[in-house]
Amino acid sequence: MSTTETRPGTPGPAADAEAGARPAPPPRDFDRPRFLKVFTGVFFLVLFAPIALVVLFSFNSSRSLQNFEGFSLRWYERFFENEALRDSLIASIEIALLTMVVATALGTLLAYGLVRARVRFSGALNVLLLVPLVTPEIVAGVSALLLFTQVGLELSLTTIVLAHITFSISYVTVVVRARLASLNPEVENAAMDLGATRLQTFRLITLPALWPAIVAAGLLVFALSFDDFVMSFFTTGESPQPLPVRIWSAIRFGVTPTINAIGTFMLTVSVITIGLAIALPRLLGRRESGLGVLLGRENA
Amino acid sequence: MSEDRLRAHAAEPRASAIRFEGVRKQFGDAVAVERLHLEIASGEFFSLLGPSGCGKTTTLRMVAGFDQPSEGRIFLEGEPVERVPPYKRNVNTVFQSYALFEHLDVERNVAFGLKRRKVADDETRVRVREALELVELTGREKARPGELSGGQKQRVALARALVNRPAVLLLDEPLGALDLKLRKQMQVELKGIQREVGITFLYVTHDQEEALAMSDRIAVMEGGRIKQCGSPEEIYEQPSGPFVAGFIGVSNLLAGVVQNGAVKLASGDSCVADMPSDCPPGSEVHLSVRPEKIWIDELEEGMVEVKGTIVERVYVGTTTQVIVELAPGMRVTALEQNTARVHSHDRWRIGDRVRLGWHRQHARVLR
Repeated sequence: MSTTETRPGTPGPAADAEAGARPAPPPRDFDRPRFLKVFTGVFFLVLFAPIALVVLFSFNSSRSLQNFEGFSLRWYERFFENEALRDSLIASIEIALLTMVVATALGTLLAYGLVRARVRFSGALNVLLLVPLVTPEIVAGVSALLLFTQVGLELSLTTIVLAHITFSISYVTVVVRARLASLNPEVENAAMDLGATRLQTFRLITLPALWPAIVAAGLLVFALSFDDFVMSFFTTGESPQPLPVRIWSAIRFGVTPTINAIGTFMLTVSVITIGLAIALPRLLGRRESGLGVLLGRENA
Repeated sequence: MSEDRLRAHAAEPRASAIRFEGVRKQFGDAVAVERLHLEIASGEFFSLLGPSGCGKTTTLRMVAGFDQPSEGRIFLEGEPVERVPPYKRNVNTVFQSYALFEHLDVERNVAFGLKRRKVADDETRVRVREALELVELTGREKARPGELSGGQKQRVALARALVNRPAVLLLDEPLGALDLKLRKQMQVELKGIQREVGITFLYVTHDQEEALAMSDRIAVMEGGRIKQCGSPEEIYEQPSGPFVAGFIGVSNLLAGVVQNGAVKLASGDSCVADMPSDCPPGSEVHLSVRPEKIWIDELEEGMVEVKGTIVERVYVGTTTQVIVELAPGMRVTALEQNTARVHSHDRWRIGDRVRLGWHRQHARVLR
């Protein structure tokens, strides 16, 4: 970015030679107008300002939600001292972990089947797969609730996990499938040609190639499940409720700064998870970033 | 030393390595391979040559076991293989894309097949080292495929297949992704390696020059069928039909009608030629003459002779292509060597009337 910045009256090449050590920046490209920078700045300000306020006021020493009166951790103490909230936090983490493991395993297998099975209607299946991603969550939540009451399943952590898994599988499959599609099928043929059975080929060749996508997809699912509200709201039992549902119940009796602390805490967990999803493939010795994997880019 | 260990099959008598019996392969409605009868001898360098979509890769994949014949049988070393899965067949493949395992280094790529076959670690180490020596990649054991050049990847793929000492090595356009100079160099090396290890090579290519340069025998395929099968010389000098003549090398195909034991060309010239038995007088045929067999102006006694006008001269280094028009729309290409003594350059100009001639045994009448 800095290389495209230019002041009016940029010295020409001759002046540049005289100036010696400091080369003049090249003239501004006409396709990079200055207003785009301003626009981008405003966009990110609007995007992050409310979140920044929540984070800031979670450290406020007073109850006020308008005036910041000094730094303190008292709202965090409140949060962790509250047994119901702590139970909710643990429940949320359990749900997210279980969802992550099951959805990642199922989603990966589904992706493998969709890409490699060469079935006649795989095109239609691929579209169906996207339906959960665009279904309004409230519809998915209500239908999950109806299904569970219909079959007589008591609402509990189990029902939340089941509901979360159903919507998470699509995310895993989309991410892993993109990766798998970019994997040359001749490589799997080569493994079999060299004496590996189908299962050995999957374990020794396919899985290592998919690893970055699987890790990234799993962490994405963890983050999605951890802060999901709508699905959890419809499928939760009495107690313990996942954290987002608990916050919602608490807010009905008035907003306390503890909510800010919980919000900030959840934000931190999500950011760390997504950060890991992006960084882990690189840490595992791959030359690609998890971001490329998540966005379905071919080998970066 | 290393040669002795790799020369597993050289000592055996020249038995059949692969035999196709009436093999046919269909994908949906499309027929990829039709009525394939072929026997490839042990130790032979055999090429399947044809344009893309002619069925040559499908044939290879059926030998490897990735595709099953719709009809007919394939025998490997005399044994039928329709019930044998790819990982139990005594063949290995060098893929066009190399298909190296990106997450394994060169050494572990090459050792992959031996590990699957539970070869002892000591022996694996020795054989991997020998295979890498054979392809001249010693010193790159720890490199990942991503760090290698195209030519080096190609060598790893070759070593990875050869190290298993298969009965047959299947090569699917292995040089297709290399640049011209490297390709020429690898052609010579591949041929040398094949002679050294004595393993049967079944080589698939669309590059006629490559097939001519390396093969003991070539099968020219078109539309799923073998058009002609024979040594490079036979295929080149005695093409069985217009397709083979046109696909292998450059050939002049002149349309004409059989008349009085000669071919009467559309230009009015009458060319004496050896007439195959299936060309009775009046039948429409093509006369095929290779450009390098055509002489210009200074003809010998008894040559078949036609007349025309030079319309183009294309200088291509060692030779010059002289294009002569016999009649409107009927052109013949002749090749003149640019030797130390003469350059066709100074000898003819565009628009000159010239006489073209060839010995009658160099022309083929094709139906």
